[in-house]
Order: sequence, then C-alpha cells, then structure tokens
Amino acid sequence: MSSTYVPGLEGVVASQTAISMVDGQNGRLVYQGYVIADLAEQLSFEEVAFLLWEGRLPSRAELDALSLELAGHRSLTQAANIALDALPKDTDPMDVLRSVVSVQGVEHRLARPTVPMAIHATASFPTILALFQRRQLGLEPVKPRPELGHAANYLWMMNGKEASPETVHALNTYLVLLADHGMNASTFAARVIASTESDLTSALVGAIGALKGPAHGGAPSAVIEQLEQIGTAENAENWMRAARQRKQKFMGFGHRVYRVYDPRAKILKEMCRRMNPTFYELATKVEEVALSILHEEHPERPQSTNVEFYSAGVLQAIGLPKEYFTPTFATARVAGWSAHVLEQAANNRIIRPQSEYIGPEPRRPVPLSERA
Amino acid sequence: MQTRPVTPRRPPAPFPERGADGTPPGGSISDAAAGRPAPRGPRDSVLPGQRPLPTSEDPRTESGGRIPPPPPPPPSGPANRFAPRNWRVRTRLVVLVIVPLVATIVGATARRRQGREPVQPRANLGHAANLLWMVEGKEPDPDKVRLVDTYLVLLADHGLNASTFAARVVASTGSDLTSCVVGAIAALKGPAHGGATLAARTMLDKIGSADNAEKWLTEAHARHERFSGFGHRVYRTYDPRAKILRELAKTASPELYETAARTEEVALRILHEAHPDRPNATNVDFWASVVLTGAGIPKELFTTLFATSRVAGWTAHVLESLSDLRLIRPASRWVGPEPGKKPMQLAKR
Repeated sequence: MSSTYVPGLEGVVASQTAISMVDGQNGRLVYQGYVIADLAEQLSFEEVAFLLWEGRLPSRAELDALSLELAGHRSLTQAANIALDALPKDTDPMDVLRSVVSVQGVEHRLARPTVPMAIHATASFPTILALFQRRQLGLEPVKPRPELGHAANYLWMMNGKEASPETVHALNTYLVLLADHGMNASTFAARVIASTESDLTSALVGAIGALKGPAHGGAPSAVIEQLEQIGTAENAENWMRAARQRKQKFMGFGHRVYRVYDPRAKILKEMCRRMNPTFYELATKVEEVALSILHEEHPERPQSTNVEFYSAGVLQAIGLPKEYFTPTFATARVAGWSAHVLEQAANNRIIRPQSEYIGPEPRRPVPLSERA
Repeated sequence: MQTRPVTPRRPPAPFPERGADGTPPGGSISDAAAGRPAPRGPRDSVLPGQRPLPTSEDPRTESGGRIPPPPPPPPSGPANRFAPRNWRVRTRLVVLVIVPLVATIVGATARRRQGREPVQPRANLGHAANLLWMVEGKEPDPDKVRLVDTYLVLLADHGLNASTFAARVVASTGSDLTSCVVGAIAALKGPAHGGATLAARTMLDKIGSADNAEKWLTEAHARHERFSGFGHRVYRTYDPRAKILRELAKTASPELYETAARTEEVALRILHEAHPDRPNATNVDFWASVVLTGAGIPKELFTTLFATSRVAGWTAHVLESLSDLRLIRPASRWVGPEPGKKPMQLAKR
C-alpha cells in the first residue's frame, strides 16, 4: 500500500471508469469513446445522458422513452415544494438545489441507485431552479411542458415564454459539454458517498455541495464580475497588471488536467463569437492579456483558458442570471454524477484513504480542574 | 496507524478580526460562544415539519414563541452567499451553530416519529443530557446520559473515514461548512459506514437470543450473508472503542449483551475458520448498537446519533483543511472504449 502523501491527490488514480476521460496532453474530452467535439453540436442532452448512463447511444425508440420519462418527472413532490417555499428568497440557488434535491429524494431511503432514479433526479433540477427563480422575482410558477426537450423546457419554465431555437441549441450544447469530466472534485465526492452504499440522492447532494466551491463550479459568475470590473478592451492591460500587483487571481484560467486548450472552451468561445459579440470582444482581449501575463510569470506552466471563461458569455447570451450559472452547471453535471454513482455501485469498494498523522505524540488528558 | 516522529504542526490559518459584512470576530471558540445566544434552537424551516411550514419570507417571525430565542443566522444564511472569503471568517462561528443543531434535529425527529411535539432544548443541560431530554421529553437518567456521552466521545472522530473524507473533498473546492457537513451526512448514511450500527442491531434482533446464535450465524454464513459489526479496513486488533463500549454494554442492556456476547464469540470463530489469514475483529458498530439500545435510543435513530457525534470531527477536519486548501481532484484510469469512434446518426441506430 502506498504511503506517500500526495496533496490534492494529484495524479493518484482513485477509480477506474468507462464514462469519461480527460486526455490533458491532447486536449480531448471523451464520453464513452466519443470525442466531445463530435457530440457537442450534434446530439441532444438527452442522448448524451443516455450514453453516460447506458454506455451506448440510444435508438429512436429508446430516446423517445427517455424523453417521456424525463418529461413525466418534472414535478416536485409535495415535501420538496414545501421545502422550496420555506427557503428565504435570497438563498443562494446552489443551496436551494442542495436542499430541495435532498428533500425530493427522501422516498428512496437507501435504495440501490438505478437508471430510472438518475432520470428522475435529472428531470427535477431545471424545475427546482425555475420555480425558485420565479419566486424570487415574484412571478407565478410556470408548468413544465412535456412536448419540450430538456433544454427548451428549462428555458420555458424560467422565462414563461418559448426560447428561440438558437438559444435552445446553445443551452443544449452547453449541457452536453458540461455533462461529465472525469474524476473532478464533485464527481469524486459523489463516488466517495456512493462507496458507503448510500443512496443516489445523498451522492448528488454531496456533489452539489462540492460543485458550489469557487475552485470548482463556483467561478463562472466570478468571470462576469471580473469582466465587468475591467469594463473595456482598452482597459484590460492596465487593469490586469494592477490586479496582479495586488495578487488578484484571473478568473477562468488554469486547470489541473489540461496541458493544452480545453476542447470545451474552444467550442464555447466560438459560440460566444456568434451569440455574444460584446462579451466576445472584451473576453478575447482579456484572455490574450491574461495568458501573456501568466506566461511571463510561469513560463513553465501550461496556462490556458478553462471552460468557465467562455461558459459565462454563453450563459449570459442565453439569458440566465449569473447566480444561476453554477446551478446550470449542476443541471448538466447531474447526468455525469449519476452515471458515476451507477458505475461505483456496480463494482463497489468503500473509498477510505489513509492519512498521515502530524499531531502530538499520544498523551494523557489533564483533569479539567488542573487545566490553565 | 503508527505514530511517526512529530513534525511541528502548522499553525491554524489566521482569522481576520471582522468579516467583510461586519460579522463578529471568529477567533477562538470561546470568543465565538461569548457573544452569541444559546445556539441550539434551529430555525423553524429546518425543524421537520411538525406543522405547516411558514410561508413568510422570514420563517423566524412565525415561531409562535414555541422555539426559543431567534438563533443566529444559520450556516448557509445570506452572509455566506457568494462569499468564498467570507465563509472562512465565519466558519468557527458556524461550527458552534451546526454541532448542536444536529442534536436538535435528532431530538425533533425522534419526537415526531412518536407523534409528539418537539421539546425545547435546555441551556442548563450538557450536550448528551440535552440530547436525551429532546428525544424523550423527560428528565434524563444520569446513567443513560453517561452512556450517550461516552458514545459521543468515542465516535467523535476516526481518521480519514469515508464521511470525513467526503467533507474534506467538498471543503477542498472552497465550498461552505454546511455543504461539507451535508456531504458527510450523505456518506455516513451508507450501510458500509454509519449505517452499520443499525445493521448490527437488526442482526441481533434476528438472532433473538444467545441460544440461537450458533444456529443463526451458521445458516447465515452458509447463505454467504455478511455479519454486521465485524471487520474494519484499518484495525488489525480489537477496536479500542469497541472494547470500552463492550464493557459499558454489560450493565447498559444486560439481556441484549448476553445475545451479543455469544454472537461475537460464534461469529469470530466462524470468520476465523473461513479466513484464518484475515484479522477479523469486532468493530465499534457492534457494541455501539447494544449501548445505544441501553440508553433508550430508538434503533432507527442510531445513524443520526453517529452523526451527532461525528459532526465534531467533520468540522474539525474542515477547519484543519482551511490552513492549506488545495483542490482534491484525483486521476482515474480509463477502462472504456477506444476514443475516437464517430457517433452514428439517430435515424440509423
């Protein structure tokens, strides 16, 4: 047994998986053998979710059955509705998701994870977010529409009007791109939880909690905020040099695994160019400056733009409020999380690593009355 | 685990004097406790719905005086929103909210299961005594308090077990303490982890009596059933916690102890015969199930009692990890199809 401490478990193989592979050297993301660039603008999120869960692309009949099952489970349970209504209106939507997904799943108790459970959980995410956002805005909830696909229905429930085909296509592409990504922190959290033979809901709730962190999924809104502070392309160089003096981090750069340009960022960048020219103009300039500054500082490091940078521009163009960027990330990743939970449960062994004790030598407690 | 020569421990991360939103200093636990109301009462919205949940924006306005003074903002309250730096400032305070809160939720759950109203926590009782008070709604028996207190101490932490590790993975992304604790609870729930105490008690219930142990275990073994309460990833000798609980179990629940002691004897013999190479020892869950039974805790609440104890350790681990926060993102080995195949068009599939 290895006894070397590896901070962040970097490079430590924690699982075997056939769901997705991040090929950092060649800048490839692979779902079940398919390269992401071949899936992204061609397939629906539903097809990709099926691929992640079942290991193959669905036939027309299977896709129809899946769409029906998703559409049939877009409503929340009574308890979940009550929980959602009990939360203060200014609750972070990630906390809303974490709490309401938990309540929505209580009926499963300790049931062994199954594909239908994964479908039902995936169906509930857009509903939870849309209901909460409308409540925040003081608007009436919008009922889901069974004839709409996953992405189209999400926008319908959020906005109460049908989105344009381009917008739906953009959201669908985003959901496909973000649906899975190897052994990232939230997926790993889900697998650790599933490894105790806990239920799917528990694993998803833990994953949402992990995705919330700014070092993981919590950054896309920070990208927008940083761009807002920079303001104009002309100002980028000055602002960013000054920011560096203050040791401020550039949002949307760097990744543990990729050594070349993130393939998802590439696709999202192109979408930004088409959909969000204002963002694109500023963002490309900021990207250029950021990469050159980062390269000056660490010429040895492969500093590249990560998926969150251009995600921000795409989600903004889709019309989602920035507080809903990370929850929308979760709406995509729930497909991957549940696929990993199913894979973990199919061939399980509890994930219980070792630790290196660096505390005091064993000692005796001093009685309370004698302690200073 | 062997003890290594000790290297000086890194000092904990400094906590700023005051948070960006003007929150009080979060230095030491005593500082934190001094300026706050008794933090045991949960917000109404987290009490399991013993009545229609409030619909107004601030659920505290509807407490109707039944729940004690408005507690401090909860862990994921507004002050924590989108504030990756701020949540660290508040973490020590949040620990003082979340640890007793778990006990309060357990108490309210127990009462609700019995179809009764939750009782208010009592500031003049210690943690274990208050827990029993809230579960039973009557003056806690000192012997039972001692059992629960010892149990809570013994289970409070245990190295990098799965739930603690889950909490640290969540913490490593810079997420908030509530998310860490929620993730840990999710992991503890599994029968291979915290659910094992209930599984042990369920097995003892099936065995029923000392006389039946030999027959039941032999048959279960023949069916390849796993014995609950035996085996551990780390211990190669008798779990020191199990030893203490075993001793307490004698007087805590004499009848169940008799069944359990005989079960242990037979189970260890069968396991040793089957796997002479393996160190098959009784684990803490086995004897914890007898002690908690003796303390009058309903068995459905065993895992929640475990959480009531372990939340101290989880939060300690999260606080420790703050001093050197680094994203936990392991690698995986690809065992899927060779990358590069082209997706077939839907119509042709």
